Amino acid sequence: MRLGGVCALALLFAAGPALGAEQFESRLSPSPLTDGTRVNIAGEGRARAELDGNKLTLNADFHGLASNATTAELYDGPGIGIPGPKAFDLTVTPATSGQVTGSVTLTSRQAAAVRHGHFYVQINSQKAPDGNLTGWLLPPHPEASQDVPVAGPGFLPQFDVPAK
Amino acid sequence: MTMKKLLVPSVLAATLASVSAIALDGGPFTADQSRQGRALYAANCAQCHGAQLQGAGEAPALSGATFIAAWGNRSSDELYNLVKASMPYGNGNSLDADTYRRIVTYVLAANGAKPGSATFTGAEKVKINSVADGKMPAELAQTPAAAGGGAARPATSYPPGRFGVTVAGSLKSYDPVTDQMLAHPKDADWLMYRRTYQGWSHSPLSQINSANVKTIQLAWSWAMNEGGASEVTPIVHDGIMFLSNVANTVQALDARTGELIWENRIGPAPTRAYGATRSIALYGDKVFVPTTDAKLYALDAKTGKIVWQSVIEDAREGYSNTGGAIAIHGKILVGLTYCNRYEVKHCFISAYDADTGKVAWRFKTIALKGEPGGDSWNNLPDEFRQGAETWIAGTYDPELNTTYWGTAQAKPWTRASRDSAGGATLYANSTLALDPDNGTLKWYWSHAPGENFDLDEVFERVLVDHGPSKDLLTIGKVGILWKLNRVTGKYEDSAQTLFQNVFDKIDPKTGVPTYRKDIQDAKLGDWISSCPGPAGGHDWPATSYDPKTDLMIIPLHQSCVLMRADPMEKKIGVGGDAGSQRLFEMPGTDGNLGKLAAYNTTTMKALWSFQQKAPFLTGVLTTDGGVGFVGDFDRRFRAFETATGKTLWQTRLPTSAQGHVVSYAVDGKQYIAVESGLGGGSPVGKPTTLMPQVHHPNNGAAIFVFALPDN
Repeated sequence: MRLGGVCALALLFAAGPALGAEQFESRLSPSPLTDGTRVNIAGEGRARAELDGNKLTLNADFHGLASNATTAELYDGPGIGIPGPKAFDLTVTPATSGQVTGSVTLTSRQAAAVRHGHFYVQINSQKAPDGNLTGWLLPPHPEASQDVPVAGPGFLPQFDVPAK
Repeated sequence: MTMKKLLVPSVLAATLASVSAIALDGGPFTADQSRQGRALYAANCAQCHGAQLQGAGEAPALSGATFIAAWGNRSSDELYNLVKASMPYGNGNSLDADTYRRIVTYVLAANGAKPGSATFTGAEKVKINSVADGKMPAELAQTPAAAGGGAARPATSYPPGRFGVTVAGSLKSYDPVTDQMLAHPKDADWLMYRRTYQGWSHSPLSQINSANVKTIQLAWSWAMNEGGASEVTPIVHDGIMFLSNVANTVQALDARTGELIWENRIGPAPTRAYGATRSIALYGDKVFVPTTDAKLYALDAKTGKIVWQSVIEDAREGYSNTGGAIAIHGKILVGLTYCNRYEVKHCFISAYDADTGKVAWRFKTIALKGEPGGDSWNNLPDEFRQGAETWIAGTYDPELNTTYWGTAQAKPWTRASRDSAGGATLYANSTLALDPDNGTLKWYWSHAPGENFDLDEVFERVLVDHGPSKDLLTIGKVGILWKLNRVTGKYEDSAQTLFQNVFDKIDPKTGVPTYRKDIQDAKLGDWISSCPGPAGGHDWPATSYDPKTDLMIIPLHQSCVLMRADPMEKKIGVGGDAGSQRLFEMPGTDGNLGKLAAYNTTTMKALWSFQQKAPFLTGVLTTDGGVGFVGDFDRRFRAFETATGKTLWQTRLPTSAQGHVVSYAVDGKQYIAVESGLGGGSPVGKPTTLMPQVHHPNNGAAIFVFALPDN
């Protein structure tokens, strides 16, 4: 019984966020888009990541691609919204909807980059091999309710312009 | 068995090789397709892109080195998909698929691609520079497409009709507009672009308030000209609404009933699917109309008849006016736009005598060699210093006798394309403080020295006093709200209104921004990220300042771009923007392109904000009733509480809410007027790409006027 209780507790922790781990999230949206590529670059998704020490665990779901997903990757950009080199491969369902998963060990610099919002997820597909869905991993923030005012400027990720 | 296994891939490889060889032998289209495409290009495309496919204004070149630089490494199916989805401008997918196919084959042929035996379907993935080298065949160059293809027409159709005074009528009386009226307008009037010289877009009327706005209803509506861009500001004086339409048509309407009194179709019909007249001006007994063909007309306010006309610049060279006008001391001040070709001429602000139309002065917005600021262009020859358009009318401080104008970025868009290195490219993307009597520059302040992304800082300059401090507020596409001292031009403060990654530092004392290192180092061909992208941040949908709450209400757009600097041949007559763009969602916005934010202009802190999927496409109006109004891309027109941002009332219009919302009163009754319409440049084009799920009809231009019920 006692062992069973411990196992249940362990499972509970395994399913939920690790204690003290930092959380990140992102909407995955079609990009990069032009009117010429829009027919092949479609869909959306949402990614959630957890940074526990130097271990980053990522889960994402996606749907609505115009062709089957082929690869998914984590990229290490020089800043929020700025593309950079590929850092890690992830596992992706080879379909127009599915999941992305991955667990990677980061260097200290990479972990700092994640904390600064520089890492992003990219899903590629058959018709969009150079990028279909993309999203920058940022700290959790309330998703804006349509038309509902909030106090202040709302969620405003800071680049490196110092706040006054 | 083994042999068979080996043979199959070999046969496949040989087949693929032969397909590739056939594709390289000629373009992936037949001669019939490109021949028919030529006439279709002339009918649907040549007005914007030029008979020789040379490009003009915002329409990129579709031939030559510029086209190959932008498209050589891309495939024919992407070109087809782009043209089909987005052309004619603002009317994507409005032609049949075969028409699009033929037009694309003509573009390929005009770039040297030779016809082949296969019919182009649009799905062929042929790398464009494998079949085309940008050299137009002599037979096509000698007889331009417009001449050979029959009558050219605008990208969108304009109802045919004669020009001139098409509806004759006369106002029973007209009280001439004086300097005193412009400085202190009657509460009931809306005499200029942003209502007051200070650019507030605020009405002191309060009959409609936050408690009763939910009961407002349509008082009248009026269909407007279709077939072009429209971002109108209705101008109202003593119960008469002067309304500018597509094709430089001006109408006088009874502002209480919508009854037409006179109409003058000045013309010409729109030659571009973009570039709207944002405002006309009133002074004395005349209505002043800066037209899209770069002329200034004075109409008799009572009859609409032309009193005089003056040429601002030669429209045959692509120049235009979209920014409207401001009347100061008997002079009409106007800007100029589409100064993006290499020429010996440069963009300017100019003033005209209100009585005669005679040019009073011109201020050139580009600093040339040997002039103050002329060392900010990396030693480029004068003819290759372009841009700094003034496509938003200025504001004015009567006490300081100073008029304030913003300028657009240098052209081409990127440092690498224009070879301006780290130079500030003065007076691009600056605030200019001018003496309205003689055009003398009093001071300037550069908001974005050496801009690199089509991020204009051209928009409205809003004049606000904070105690003894005489301030100027403005916000550009980067989304930084700037506060300057309007006496000295010194930086006072700034606030970041949405995510931006263009500047990595703003000096807290001087306000001088520092561009990200990779932007500074960018070379031709590099894809460089910019958040926000070319729709802003903030764009032409203007702010409103509410003096009661000291709040500036700012419409914002949230999307990003990857921009590639394309080469631009240094040759007179050549020109354009030379930047390829790929759009993406702004990080952290969850797909909300629209944001409305209220900033206290003393503290520069945001009091409230809200986001929504659709970006805003009207200027904001605030009123003394504590209620504001704004409209959006998704056809919604809403009233909100100024102090809180809470939506109080909303309705849907036939197509995008567009232009500039105004309020006026006739016989003691307050009205709210808003346009629905099309066009509008990046603020319309970018969401069209990013939000295909939002549908707005390609017609439906009209003015809608709302009021409280009579009882």
